[in-house]
Amino acid sequence: MTSAKPCVVLIDDEERILRSLALLLRSRYEVLASTDPVQVLQWVRSRPVHVVVSDQRMPAITGVALLRQIREHSPRSMRLLLTGYADLAAVEAAVNEGEIFRFLEKPWDALRLQDAIATAAQIAVADFADTPAAPAVAAPAAAAPVLVLDEDPLTATLVRSLLPSDCLVATAATVEAALARLEEQEFGVILAELRHSSDDVIGALKLLKQASPRTLSIACSPLRDGRLLIELINQGQVFRFLPKPLGRELLRRALLAALERHAELRSEPQRLRRHAVERPREVSLSGRVLDYLRRIRDQARLRA
Amino acid sequence: MNTSPSSLPAAPAAVAGDAALAALLIPATPLTPRCSVAEAGERFLDPAHANLLSLPIVDAGRVLGCITRHELMLRVYMAPYGRELHGRRPVTTLMNAQPLSLSLATSIEAAGQLIGQRLRRPITEDFVLTGADGCYAGMGIVLDVLRALEIRVGQHAQELEHAYRRLKASQHRLVQSEKLATLGQLVAGLAHEINTPLGYVQNNLAMTRDLLPSADSLVQAGSAVLDAALGEDAAALESSLQQLSAARAAFDPAMFADLTALLDDTLHGVGQIADLVAHLKDFSRVDSAHAEAVDLHGLIDAALRIAGHLLKKNNVQVRCHYGQIPPLRCAPAQINQVLLNLIGNAAQAIDHDSGMVTIRTQTLGGYAMIAVQDNGRGIPPDVLPRIFEPFFTTKPVGQGTGLGLSICQQIVQSHGGRIAATSAPETGTRFVVALPLAGAAARSAP
Ligand SMILES: Nc1ncnc2c1ncn2[C@@H]1O[C@H](COP(=O)(O)OP(=O)(O)OP(=O)(O)O)[C@@H](O)[C@H]1O
Ligand SMILES: [Mg+2]
Repeated sequence: MTSAKPCVVLIDDEERILRSLALLLRSRYEVLASTDPVQVLQWVRSRPVHVVVSDQRMPAITGVALLRQIREHSPRSMRLLLTGYADLAAVEAAVNEGEIFRFLEKPWDALRLQDAIATAAQIAVADFADTPAAPAVAAPAAAAPVLVLDEDPLTATLVRSLLPSDCLVATAATVEAALARLEEQEFGVILAELRHSSDDVIGALKLLKQASPRTLSIACSPLRDGRLLIELINQGQVFRFLPKPLGRELLRRALLAALERHAELRSEPQRLRRHAVERPREVSLSGRVLDYLRRIRDQARLRA
Repeated sequence: MNTSPSSLPAAPAAVAGDAALAALLIPATPLTPRCSVAEAGERFLDPAHANLLSLPIVDAGRVLGCITRHELMLRVYMAPYGRELHGRRPVTTLMNAQPLSLSLATSIEAAGQLIGQRLRRPITEDFVLTGADGCYAGMGIVLDVLRALEIRVGQHAQELEHAYRRLKASQHRLVQSEKLATLGQLVAGLAHEINTPLGYVQNNLAMTRDLLPSADSLVQAGSAVLDAALGEDAAALESSLQQLSAARAAFDPAMFADLTALLDDTLHGVGQIADLVAHLKDFSRVDSAHAEAVDLHGLIDAALRIAGHLLKKNNVQVRCHYGQIPPLRCAPAQINQVLLNLIGNAAQAIDHDSGMVTIRTQTLGGYAMIAVQDNGRGIPPDVLPRIFEPFFTTKPVGQGTGLGLSICQQIVQSHGGRIAATSAPETGTRFVVALPLAGAAARSAP
């Protein structure tokens, strides 16, 4: 750690936002603020930056694009998006390209923002303190199994056709069946259709991230609801969102990226903390389902 | 459909949908070349030929010519000694050796045209119908062709009418859906424009409120010290001084010093929001009537304000050169839609960082002219003629509807105005909208 306070970088094209946020944060953090993305990239390259909070719509660059560049230069900086209008494209890009930690909206709730930044800073401080682990040399063992939760059996067929034949693809038509499978063994990836005739898949995904944080979730749905997706980022750390009908190439890339990330998380468990989630507000799941989740959590702890 | 009047015994003539002359065929028994003029005259009296103006002369299937009632009357029956002169001669001496002869497969329309070109007026003859082998098949009557044509035109007109109504309806739906799309963009832009100031206004107020208790206790502690000092109570002074130093420790003077700037920002933000809302009223006016005369420049300013987020991308500069324009009778919400589309297109066409959009207005020959010029990528000459077509877009699938300009054109035309574009690749594009100042030509728009 280089300074006593964690460093938070703010970028927005409205200076008044920067002034206001800087005042809010400066007692706890070393705050650097700028309207210029080039300046921000320079900070990120030249010193440890624990948290970056970026606006989405800016004149020269979108927040998602900037955060993606920041991820390349400083993968340990935690990235948050603070946007005035959550248009669907921005939210989808935030998930799929930015892999951001939180998606926050203006006007913000000061407490919630403080909370998110505090969590992010804590994770980044720990990450920066770790000596970077040597990249896993061992070729990944056989890919971890993939679980498909979708009432439509064609989705699993498609997944099977995209993955190597030795990769186990299990299927479940209900949340309960999915959790039963998850209790039996660790899955690397769960691909879940958000729309379900009877079950709260979204709630289940959120709780699953708490119970089995290593399992990466890919959400897919013909429904394209920005608000829902924001919740899934903040409370479920959803790894990818794919619109339905599923495109083969998009799905294949998402699955491979998720399996790769899962392998990384196994070899460097400390990276798991970057997937911390907000506590979900309300979830409509039965007691039985919650029991499953508890058992899955216990087993995940044992495996770790 | 059975609309053939009873005066037309040639019933097949009126069968709708039969597009060829075959439907009009009258199987008249032809004359032979050896037949005399007098015999021909008698054949005309045969009731089966009552409708025919001429009879064919056929030899072994080949049509040699036609003899007309008119010719017989003129040359034989009404001319002095005509009967004596011609009666015994072969009919071929009085025939027209080049009658109009049409194949059975000829369409009614083509027949109508040929009849128009070939037959003399007044119409004194019928035409010959021949089969595929060129042999005589029967006769056709000019009036039947006209009658059939009339029916077909009527049908076409009905089809046209239907097609027109269908088009009109789908166009209306298109306008509605583009309106919704524009509305969606608008809402997105507005939400962003409002939420940004709202973000810092709310945060600044919350911070100010959190600061006030510590300032308040500092003031209280200060005045307690003053009271104690004035009361010359040493013990009270001691304890109030302790409270004062505690209050001062809890007080963040740096924060307090920033308060003025914070509140200035807050006032600015509230002003921004008020400004936006004021501009919004231009968009909410009932747009069916062109009732009011509005200030065109106000409309442009409002559109620029609303499209602010589009222009912010790439730091596009906006220049306005406004001329003298009297109040304009128009549907303000529609003209705003036009302006928003043009400004949006201009912003989207700029992909460098010294972008500039210039808006000029002037009056010219009874029109208000609005020019929206950008220095974007321009439109290639082969694309330019197509930009007003519905659904024409050069944007990637899913990004542009390609309806923007076609709707603009429609709105402008419904105001009795015109819209045109000129462009030079790499230098930019200029759209000019001309709206009649009188507004008289304005019809109610979709
Ligand atoms: N200012 C401009 N500069 C360059 N090209 C333009 C400009 N305005 C329009 N065009 C061209 O005309 C096409 C049609 O424009 P139009 O507004 O009708 O649809 P669009 O902009 O493609 O789609 P949408 O309006 O739904 O976003 C555009 O795709 C673009 O190629
Ligand atoms: Mg357009």
